Amino acid sequence: MKKNRGKIIIILASIFLALYFLYPTYQSYMLTKKLQKLSGADSLQYVQDNDKEIRSIRSKRIKLGLDLQGGMRVVLEVNVLKMFEEMAKNKDDQFNAITADIAKEAATSDETLTSIFQKKFEEKGIRLSRYYGSLRETNDEIMKRLSDESEKAVDRAMEIVRNRVDQYGVSEPTIQKQGGRRIIVELPGVSNENDVRQLLQGTALLEFKLMKDPDIIYKTLAAIDKYLASQGFVDTASTKGGTAKTETGANAGTDTAKASENALASLDQADTTSSSQSVLPEGQKSPEEVKKEHPFLYLVRPNQQGSGDAYVSENDRATVDRILDQPDVQKLIPADMGFYWSSKPSFISGGVKYFDLLGLKKTPELTGGVIVDARATIDPNFNQPIVTMEMNSEGARDWARITGANVNKRIAIVLDNAVFSSPVVRGKITGGRSQIEGMENIDEARLLEIILKAGALPAPVDIIEQRSVGPSLGEDSIQAGMNSFTIALVLIVGFMLIYYRTGGAIANIALIFNVLFIFAILAAFGGTLTLPGIAGVVLTIGMAVDANVLIYERIREEMTTGKTLRAVIDAGYGKAFSAIFDSNITTFFSGVVLFQFGTGPVQGFALTLMMGVTANLFTAIVVTRVIFDVMTERGATSINFG
Amino acid sequence: MRLFKQTHIDFMGKRNIWYFISALTLVIGLLGVAFKGVTLGIDFLGGTELLVRFENPVQVTDVRAAVDKIGYTGSEIKTFGNANDISILTARQAEGSKIADDIRAGLTTQFPNDKFQVLKEDKIGPKIGAELRRNAVYAVIATLVIIMVYVGFRFKFIYGVAGVVALFHDVLVTLGFVVLFNGLSPHLNLEMSQDLMAAFLTLIGFSINDTVIVFDRIRENLKIHKTESLFVVINKSVNETLSRTVITSGTVLLVLIVLIIFGGEVNRGFAFTFFIGTISGTYSSIYVASAIVLDWTNRKNKKNALKAAAR
Repeated sequence: MKKNRGKIIIILASIFLALYFLYPTYQSYMLTKKLQKLSGADSLQYVQDNDKEIRSIRSKRIKLGLDLQGGMRVVLEVNVLKMFEEMAKNKDDQFNAITADIAKEAATSDETLTSIFQKKFEEKGIRLSRYYGSLRETNDEIMKRLSDESEKAVDRAMEIVRNRVDQYGVSEPTIQKQGGRRIIVELPGVSNENDVRQLLQGTALLEFKLMKDPDIIYKTLAAIDKYLASQGFVDTASTKGGTAKTETGANAGTDTAKASENALASLDQADTTSSSQSVLPEGQKSPEEVKKEHPFLYLVRPNQQGSGDAYVSENDRATVDRILDQPDVQKLIPADMGFYWSSKPSFISGGVKYFDLLGLKKTPELTGGVIVDARATIDPNFNQPIVTMEMNSEGARDWARITGANVNKRIAIVLDNAVFSSPVVRGKITGGRSQIEGMENIDEARLLEIILKAGALPAPVDIIEQRSVGPSLGEDSIQAGMNSFTIALVLIVGFMLIYYRTGGAIANIALIFNVLFIFAILAAFGGTLTLPGIAGVVLTIGMAVDANVLIYERIREEMTTGKTLRAVIDAGYGKAFSAIFDSNITTFFSGVVLFQFGTGPVQGFALTLMMGVTANLFTAIVVTRVIFDVMTERGATSINFG
Repeated sequence: MRLFKQTHIDFMGKRNIWYFISALTLVIGLLGVAFKGVTLGIDFLGGTELLVRFENPVQVTDVRAAVDKIGYTGSEIKTFGNANDISILTARQAEGSKIADDIRAGLTTQFPNDKFQVLKEDKIGPKIGAELRRNAVYAVIATLVIIMVYVGFRFKFIYGVAGVVALFHDVLVTLGFVVLFNGLSPHLNLEMSQDLMAAFLTLIGFSINDTVIVFDRIRENLKIHKTESLFVVINKSVNETLSRTVITSGTVLLVLIVLIIFGGEVNRGFAFTFFIGTISGTYSSIYVASAIVLDWTNRKNKKNALKAAAR
């Protein structure tokens, strides 16, 4: 007894610790049961009354992976290249060509984006100072600054994503950085994909932009139209536009033809008011002729009242975008003007949605940085969802000045380059209030509120991986996991008892401890239990007894030599140790590699596997040994090893 | 109870037959890989995968027709566990959740009388797919190297090499079986996924165990029976360790059978792969690892003897 006192204390202490760490998980289980028994209102009351306690229990229990409890996992990648592009000044064709090249290489390469960025510019022999910083700076200096910026951007993006997720109200979300510019977001119990997409991806770049004079907008449209007609532009979008869309595309075609005459009439009106020379429709023409003469205005139909708006059917949006992107067309657009789409269709005609294309001043008058608070409500006058915003004092002062200077002009509220509304300024607005309209429902407004409050992302983020598991699949998985765990345990315990008798019983005690320790370590270190993780535990049950098998087989061999019980046990443990250690450590190694290279649920497997083999060394060797020693000390002269 | 009383099986004497059988299994497996190909799952392929549960059983062909109709031809569609659960996998990429939304809408119109719910939805970008593929290869290589170094360090170098050859054998045999069995039953989904990769890596770490047990005994017996030939020592060692080799593998196989039957769809592929690998691992510790050590040492001794004779 004496020589084992230290070991016994360690064993008892670790069992006590294990139970301590597992107690919250047990509490949480009982709590769930209790809440299920209580009726709706009662359970809500109970949760409210015991909020703090419940939170503390939940934070300490074993976390279930998304594959077991349902939820979404999203991997975001901060688009550093986009950020660099936006930071550049004096962008020209060459810059665009190089960045396109970088994007292509970055899609497949292992290198960091910053090193590809520098490499590509140096390959072309172009100094970065042409686009960034001052002329005196070297490439390395500029790159260092850019990469600092990108690192900062990733950290800031993570902070903002965390803010948004917190405000969205997900319990126990996990947000972690992976590698240089990735953010892994895990949202248990969330299933609304579109919400999550918007929540995480919306850069929330809010801008207030002045609308250009309708005259200028219409002149520009007409100029583009004239240029395209002279180039013999033919719209091929409806024939190219994918098989799924052919049907609606054809419908829209005839519809567009009808509407285009109105559009041209309105253009005429606009042009006469501005007394500029322009194309005039010459009587009635067939749609094909109109299309040929006015290839652009056939797609983009200006508002008849001359408000400055122009409407494009949803099917033509991509074509119009393509046209506007052409360098030759860009030259026709005034340098300080840009075209922006409305966030929602302006109207629906013949089942086809029409979007508003607005010509706005490129430089914003004010940006979302001045917003201090946002609130989603229903506008009582029009019964539609709105988000009201409050600005800080500086923003309020600017806002008053801007609105005061632009009475009767239109200011567009642009979020992530989509125009949410473009009201006419009726008078000077003091107090720094503004509102956003154009949301489809209150949920969308609420989402916008969160995004505005949490702040703008410093760079756009791409969703590069998205996995979601429904709750019912999770329940099935838990059931399957529990079943296989129980059955495996019963079978192995039974086998050990039959095959090794007393020895088997002692090995079984060690096995139970092993399982206990795996779960306790999981709880203590905040590890996550996944379905493959349960498989890892089940597998550990099969592997854990192996150590004892090796020892017992050795003991059986030694027994034939006629040694005393104590000598036999000593020899059994002594000689089996190296094999046990070797086999556990190799399994542990594969667990380490797997944890390093795997993702999500598979990491859960690696985790339980590693814990299993580590705990195994302790339980199968130390715990069983102490039991045997105590037995021999108490005078046992023979132990049945089957 | 004892499964094996003192055995005296001449394992090493018949090693050439088993070399042949190993080679044959490998060739069949590799032919399977070459002709049937390794089916990549969503993890490594990239794309969109939907797992939907219908209220009533549906025919895979009907679902395929519905998915073809909305334009995602060439998607892989199969039942997942039972006739109500269907997995739809397309390697195509699109912005946002467009593909999943399209498929959802398509199924709703095509099966108006059979409601369904989406159990699981995965979307993997092309970059992630490529990355996971590369990581999987790195992981397998890293594990093999670590184990070779470890075993080589613990035993003689040749033991490390023989152990790793045995591991290669196990991985390839298992891969062959996985490919051959994939798609044979709707209840067994064996496309290459992260779970299967986990099975392969764990397999590498675990199947070396039996080899280590045998090597350990060979080393011990070499010290005791210094006059005996290596052939006799290895045979003796394998016989002595036979019962523990079989039982340690047996307990693992037992829990794997439990996992295959009760562990759910995700774990079934994993458990099946590990099951094959464990059997192969037990076998290879005798007929691949030990046999190689024997043949290598014999050849080296012969060379040394020739050199000595030449002097």
